[in-house]
Amino acid sequence: MAAMAIYVIIMMMIWPLARAESNVWLKAVYALAPVPPMIYVIWLMAQRIMRSDELEQRTHMIGLGVSAAVVSVISLISGFLAAANVLTLDATSTILLWIFPLLMFTYGGVRTYAARRYGSSGCEEDDAMPLYIRFLVVAGLFCAIGAYIYFHAHDERASSFALGMASALVVGAIYFAVRRWRKRRAVE
Amino acid sequence: MNNRLRELRDRHSWSQGELADRLDVSRQTVNAIETGKYDPSLPLAFRIAKLFHMSIESIFEPGKG
Repeated sequence: MAAMAIYVIIMMMIWPLARAESNVWLKAVYALAPVPPMIYVIWLMAQRIMRSDELEQRTHMIGLGVSAAVVSVISLISGFLAAANVLTLDATSTILLWIFPLLMFTYGGVRTYAARRYGSSGCEEDDAMPLYIRFLVVAGLFCAIGAYIYFHAHDERASSFALGMASALVVGAIYFAVRRWRKRRAVE
Repeated sequence: MNNRLRELRDRHSWSQGELADRLDVSRQTVNAIETGKYDPSLPLAFRIAKLFHMSIESIFEPGKG
């Protein structure tokens, strides 16, 4: 979670500096700043998969396989349409940036579905901090970033994005809090 | 594949979590095996058989089809 928080801070506060910077090396440093926390997140995920048991590894494998297939098919369709000038794609920036989030989003969704098929929720709360608290902490972080951007950088678009993300996370926190409460009630 | 895991667990008065700890797997895996949603790998089947001092074929039997 700390790595994701650092990633969000970098994306919203450091990465935009890359466009305004004239020095090529500094521009590259700003542009690549979000990469280390993402690599750290991937490493953490790999560690988690290595530590998991055979059923969990199977659900991870299904998630990764399906997400790779989905992203490949979407890339292929988009590529063919762009090559035939049916679709105009900004292949140098926007499209490439979407590949990783699409891969992770599909992976998460498919893994949750696969875990449910085997009778678990896909996001069991084995760790000390409940999921709804984590969502609230990240929502608070987004709120703080949004407020900072609004009052210091005066960028309404970026601050609206941050506050929108915070709202979505609060909705997620409410969902997980209600689910936790219902589970505890069912046990009692 | 059908199995007698739940019956054997009940016989020892173990919860799914306790059995999971003894087998070094997650509680979800024990639940998936008991409900027949997941067939364990051969090493895990051997661990289960060893834990209950039984043979694999006396715990697991092929399902229909």
